[in-house]
Amino acid sequence: MDQTREQLPFDILFVGAGPANLASAIHLMELAREKKMKIEVGMIEKGNTIGSHAISGAILDPIALKELIPDYLERGCPIEQTECRDNLYFLTRKGGFSIPFTPKYLHNEACLVISLSKFTRWLGGLAEEMGVNIFPGFAGTEVLYNADASCVIGVRTGDKGIDKHGKKKSNYEPGIDLIAKVSVFGEGSKGSLIRDLGKKMDIFSNKMPQVFETAIKEVIEIPESSPFLSAETTVLHTFGYPLRLNKKGGGFLYRLKDNRVCCGLVVALDYQDPFLEPYEAFLRFKRHPLIAEIIQGGKVLQQGAKTLSAGGYYTMPALVANGTVFVGDSASMLNTQRLKGIHTAMKSGMIAAEAIIFALEKNDFSTKTLKKYELGVEKSWIKDERYKARNFTQALSQKGFLKFMHIGAQYFTGGRGLKDPLTIRKDNSTLKTLTPKKANKTKTAVPQHFDGTLYVDKLTGVYLSGTKHEEDQPCHLIVHDTRICETKCFESYRNPCALFCPGKVYEIKEGPQGKRQLVINPANCLHCKTCEVKDPFENITWTCPEGGGGPNYSMV
Amino acid sequence: MDVVVLVKQVPDTESLIQIAEDSVSIKTGDLKWIINPYDEFAVEEALQIRETQGGTVTILSMGPEKATEAIRTALAMGADSGVLINDPMTAGGDALTTAKVLAAALKEIPYDLIIAGQRAVDGDNYQVGSAVAEYLGIPQISLVIKEEIFNGKIRCHRVFEGGTVVVETPFPALFTTQRGLNEPRYASLPGIMKAKKKPLDIKTLADIGIDPAIVGKAGSKTKIKTLNFPSERQAVRMIDGESGAEKAANLVKILHGEIKAI
Repeated sequence: MDQTREQLPFDILFVGAGPANLASAIHLMELAREKKMKIEVGMIEKGNTIGSHAISGAILDPIALKELIPDYLERGCPIEQTECRDNLYFLTRKGGFSIPFTPKYLHNEACLVISLSKFTRWLGGLAEEMGVNIFPGFAGTEVLYNADASCVIGVRTGDKGIDKHGKKKSNYEPGIDLIAKVSVFGEGSKGSLIRDLGKKMDIFSNKMPQVFETAIKEVIEIPESSPFLSAETTVLHTFGYPLRLNKKGGGFLYRLKDNRVCCGLVVALDYQDPFLEPYEAFLRFKRHPLIAEIIQGGKVLQQGAKTLSAGGYYTMPALVANGTVFVGDSASMLNTQRLKGIHTAMKSGMIAAEAIIFALEKNDFSTKTLKKYELGVEKSWIKDERYKARNFTQALSQKGFLKFMHIGAQYFTGGRGLKDPLTIRKDNSTLKTLTPKKANKTKTAVPQHFDGTLYVDKLTGVYLSGTKHEEDQPCHLIVHDTRICETKCFESYRNPCALFCPGKVYEIKEGPQGKRQLVINPANCLHCKTCEVKDPFENITWTCPEGGGGPNYSMV
Repeated sequence: MDVVVLVKQVPDTESLIQIAEDSVSIKTGDLKWIINPYDEFAVEEALQIRETQGGTVTILSMGPEKATEAIRTALAMGADSGVLINDPMTAGGDALTTAKVLAAALKEIPYDLIIAGQRAVDGDNYQVGSAVAEYLGIPQISLVIKEEIFNGKIRCHRVFEGGTVVVETPFPALFTTQRGLNEPRYASLPGIMKAKKKPLDIKTLADIGIDPAIVGKAGSKTKIKTLNFPSERQAVRMIDGESGAEKAANLVKILHGEIKAI
């Protein structure tokens, strides 16, 4: 370990200030208070403030929230909509129909529509009141291990004030080593620390590969006269157009407080067509008559994008290792079948808190003691609802009629279905190589009209996400071999990174002699991580930029 | 050397700015708040002065309780203590009433030097720093990009169009910051921990002995009548060309032929 770094000791360190870690920290402080234990708890967050990087649909099943904060209403929990009246639509190109029978896992009557950004900010305030030291604007860039690398002992924060060429600027501020008895990783989808930790501590072996979906979402202000504001339906989910039946994903639109709605499209990253562009699909979704009619006359207030870990039960890694536990999306806690993960993320954090208190009491932070968390998850309602959905994502990845056979069979067999476990492919292995004929066909995209208000292009979207990075810093997107981009990737796939990235971070420019060159605009990065998941050559590694950089979400 | 830095908490310029129904204020519901960037230069410069001259750095602000966040940020950067004037009667005041309140508060804080941002990026009034110096009857130098302290004097370099001017004054004095003065340091993580324990006094108008009738909305002689958004900018046009020379030639063609600027 680099001895020149300053060290700051905590009992417990949380990495990431999302719903899983915040619920965990709040529950931990509560348990410590009950047991009259005095503990120092730290939490780092790469976003500029708590909630800056938090984005989700979001329909919240308040089951975990009620357990954590029974009087959440009195304590000012920000709720956008308490009445969830669902309608599920199948969309065709120009029309569609409402599905008369909604499967029971898609019933949201008792749920709440929230903005995850507002919700986490609120939870963050409560955690701070209880004595958690939250440090927004500090990114964890390295996991610290003991001498024989058998135990996690903390996290190093990133240096600040390094210029483009890696040289120290006048305001250089070295990162420091945060040392803890237990480090809780709640990094969210496709965390950059758990990537290395996973390899070192072997938490992913014997598991199915984690798979992801990318969601693009907007909050739109619609005219006060809009009939949707008094319509019976408040929650719409769609499948079908603009994705084909063989493409996994779907759209959503929820009514929010005041005269706002949010709408978004989720695209599973196991798609095969290199020419698919999630952002463009999102725009087509917005232009579908069903959606266009609701949002007409509106104005986009905020936009954002994020991947979500959609693999489910069988892709859950080992939940503990010596000196560390994994919660929320870091541990693939989402329930794809219910299109929800905040409740399971929170609950996983809360169960982890109970195991941590147990470990503190025993003063033993080994896998053996922390295993109480893993066992707790197995005994909780997280297991109950996720186990039923254990083959669901895999079934959705099937093509044609088979998909419905699997889903139907699972519906009546408690999730077992026709084959258990049903296997799944890693997202970066699913793209189909373009035939020379197809590759040379210029993409026949429908020309998009952007009015800059309701329909915005990618760069306006980046602006509307509030994304800001220190420009003079090393590029945080590591492309290992740009020759692959210029040759193999171009020939086989026509550089899908330029299409799947919702922030226009990657561009392929053709130089004077037809020489191709990859141009990276790291300052546009929305921290969604689609690039690391989908790049067919695994040529991109996402690392944390200087702490405080990234989107500035406040209402998505 | 005791330095006082005037700090204001302002909406993040990346925030969504919407004009409120009353058309003279903005909606605050979805705003994020930050320390005014020009005040950040002021805090940094004060800390650098303390490093060479010794003494203390005190942060002074006026605003709602939320403004303590901006003071804590400055304390985390390294300032020693903070004072917030928080009184509902100060609300809705113009720049001059703000200066009156700050000047009154400064009567009770020892200082040799006061540093203020040249302006707050929300109201863009460019008045508070100067008015505070006037109320206190001390010399002031605006838009400083460099300062040197020697023999009981401060020598400041100011930028003006086409060059710089060097101005000198004895203490006590006030100067306002210009971009280029320094690169503000980051609040370090241990700094944030320490800042939680540093003294931060919250005072009312009664505490600093100022009549509420002469400040806030009641005491303001200027009133905002209406707020308007700037007209939308036209889209940027990229100049085509294979090489730099060709692009330059095309640019000249457009400037000469189409826009008739040259």
